[in-house]
Amino acid sequence: MTTAAAHEASPDRGPGTTSDDQRLETFSYDDQIARMFVAATIVWGLVATLVGLIVAIILVMPNLTSGLPWISFGRLRPLHTNAAIFAFAGNAIFAAIYYSTQRLCKARMWSDTLSRMHFWGWQIIIVAAAITLPLGITQSREYAELEWPIDILIAVVWLFIFGGNFLMTLVHRRERHMYVALWFYIATIVTVALLHVFNNLVVPAGWFKGYSVYAGVQDAFMQWWYGHNAVAFFLTTPFLGLMYYFLPKAAERPVFSYRLSIIHFWSLVFIYIWAGPHHLHYTALPQWACTLGMLFSLMLWMPSWGGMINGLLTLRGAWHKVAVDPVLKFYVVGVTFYGMSTFEGPMLSIRSVNALSHYTDWTIAHVHSGALGWNGFMTFGMLYWLLPRLFQTKMWSPRLVNLHFWLGTIGILVYIVPIYAAGLMQGLMWRAMDDTGHLTYPDFIETTQSIVPLWWLRVLGGLMYFGGVVMLAVNATMTWIARPSTYEVPVYSAPRLTKEYEGHEQLKRSVLQDAPVLDVAKKLDVWAQMGWHRSWERLPIKFTVLATLAVVIATLFEVIPTFLIRSNVPTIATVQPYTPLELAGRHIYVSEGCYNCHSQMIRPIVAETKRYGEYSKPGEFIYDRPFQWGSRRIGPDMAREGGKQSSFWHWTHFQDPQNVSPGSVMPSYKHLLENDLKFNAIAPHVKAAAYLGAPYSDADLNDTAAVAMKQAEQIAADIVQQGGPPMTFEKQAIALIAYLQRIGTDLYRTETPAPETKQAPETEQAVEAGTEPRPADSETPVSATPSLPGEQQ
Amino acid sequence: MIKDLVCALDYSNCAEVALCVFFVVFAAVLFSSMRLSRAAVERFSSIPLNDQVEDPRYE
Repeated sequence: MTTAAAHEASPDRGPGTTSDDQRLETFSYDDQIARMFVAATIVWGLVATLVGLIVAIILVMPNLTSGLPWISFGRLRPLHTNAAIFAFAGNAIFAAIYYSTQRLCKARMWSDTLSRMHFWGWQIIIVAAAITLPLGITQSREYAELEWPIDILIAVVWLFIFGGNFLMTLVHRRERHMYVALWFYIATIVTVALLHVFNNLVVPAGWFKGYSVYAGVQDAFMQWWYGHNAVAFFLTTPFLGLMYYFLPKAAERPVFSYRLSIIHFWSLVFIYIWAGPHHLHYTALPQWACTLGMLFSLMLWMPSWGGMINGLLTLRGAWHKVAVDPVLKFYVVGVTFYGMSTFEGPMLSIRSVNALSHYTDWTIAHVHSGALGWNGFMTFGMLYWLLPRLFQTKMWSPRLVNLHFWLGTIGILVYIVPIYAAGLMQGLMWRAMDDTGHLTYPDFIETTQSIVPLWWLRVLGGLMYFGGVVMLAVNATMTWIARPSTYEVPVYSAPRLTKEYEGHEQLKRSVLQDAPVLDVAKKLDVWAQMGWHRSWERLPIKFTVLATLAVVIATLFEVIPTFLIRSNVPTIATVQPYTPLELAGRHIYVSEGCYNCHSQMIRPIVAETKRYGEYSKPGEFIYDRPFQWGSRRIGPDMAREGGKQSSFWHWTHFQDPQNVSPGSVMPSYKHLLENDLKFNAIAPHVKAAAYLGAPYSDADLNDTAAVAMKQAEQIAADIVQQGGPPMTFEKQAIALIAYLQRIGTDLYRTETPAPETKQAPETEQAVEAGTEPRPADSETPVSATPSLPGEQQ
Repeated sequence: MIKDLVCALDYSNCAEVALCVFFVVFAAVLFSSMRLSRAAVERFSSIPLNDQVEDPRYE
């Protein structure tokens, strides 16, 4: 090995190569790209944890934002999750991959140019997210909120630039065997691409809005297939790859069991992809899909703990180092949190446990034990190991690293323990019933108010964790300042891998070759030597195809039945498309991020039906693009909100929630009362919905603004009648009220028989506005019963 | 024809088939990893410990 100054290295392919396969090639590693991603990780780590702290404070002090829409909880919460997952964890993954892949392949990245395009492309995506999400430009799909133009950019940067560069590096590697960390990286790249593309298929309704090609139940299924596997393949598999590389490096000893790592990898990749439906227990998703999701989630426990055990036992004989090396301390706590989270995850997927935990803060605690403990601490451990090596100087302050470790660890505990308690309290209070069979806590706000003190403790825990990240940023900056004026670039030399591999021939010979046995026994013996599997591990493209197949096959087993069995979504004759104004209101509901606090899914559980009304049916959501079932109830469920309150009540509620709901933690949405609705901008939404199969009349499609205006005038008139202010029909709140008054009412709609005589002018007007059933709809068979028309197969 | 094929398929066994597929794959992976020689295991697991190219680069 020799060294050269950084500026002497070839800018794109290393110091030099030769064309002859048999001659030595010289190469160096591109550490500059790792430095760039390390810096981005720290910057976005600060942003993600700071925004998390802000949203935690907003929850306990809802009036702090003074009704400013850009910093409301509904808009900032997706910013926090996206910043934590895709900016902080994403950049950490890339730093780990760029550093370790080159060393595991004994080769420089295939193209420095693609590496830089990847870095800047990803930062542009993050900045685009940071701008669009506070502006309310969102798909409302959790962890996939970004709209379609950004989604296309993600697909290009991830798959073609990053994936292409990574795969070509594997192809040009100088190490015959692909180490297990590389397997995890391959699975990450192909699966995230698959998830991202298929979950984000939309029909554009303008540059900033797309309507999902899936609706209702199928949309929910796709979203949670994506959502769960985003956790699996963005926050788990790449971090396991990181663990398998950096933990042995830091401990200076090989991984405990390479065999276990192989079993761990294939089991994890194959099982994880099935588990998504456990997010939809007791919802309108078919029960068979939920059972399958639950079963595979429980099975997931085994490979997950296989990974944890492998990680912890790698430190066998090196525990004395853990006591003095803060990097190993971070890893030990990180892997331990991985074990805790992957035990808790399967437990939460059990239907009866999920009935208690779902929609509560329990899920939030579970997520944060994984994110702060596993992802955060594995990242911090990696960064503290990398910083002195990348900047070629000592850490500025080892004591500060130690302090970060303790502050972060205590911060996590101060965060999650009260939130677990809050989740349990919520779940138990929501289902509590007295001796007479009535809800013990019928007022939802009472259940929220009881956990506010615990939310304050979360603020403290979050502050401590954020403090730790600040320490990291300071330490990293000071270490960077102390870097040498020119980095040394070690130069290595080695021949290329030969195309012929002698190992094949060795494995083709059977020990039974000369024994008096049948040929089939000799062939079986050769097959059982598993040479074919060893060869897969040496062929990156074949390995990638196999990993993709494992994921795709598992997906298809769930997707095909969900989409093709018609009885999964029984149609309900009275369910009609949203009117243009309601569609505009739904767009506002999505933009404001209302789904972050309100679910729209009443589960068939007595406590829920008593609190909210009739349980939700799959057929009610066939026009819901995207679905709005939500995953959390900071506020009450909205699935039967229509008609519960007067339009004026909603108007007042948006203006000052505490006025009509004392103790509410909802912020003011007064901007909806002040800003005008752009009636002319509704048409693309209606056209997109019609394109996707919603039956709209010619008037709805061609005279959209006028139809919407008529309905808005009716609602504005109602508000005046109920004692509200005049001239509200042009305001955005009216559209949102129209939508809220519609939610969940179709199930109870009783079709009026088509009149034989001419309709009265008032009724005609209402029909055009969409508040009365259209005569043309009478072609659809409807139930004659006045309520609960039921479902038709 | 595709429509007829899809209609003729019985999806009700998907969950059971999925479990069987998993167990077959799992058994194959388990068997494969157990057949790995000790020398190969030691060689593979030490790959990350050294950044330099080592020869011979075989199992």
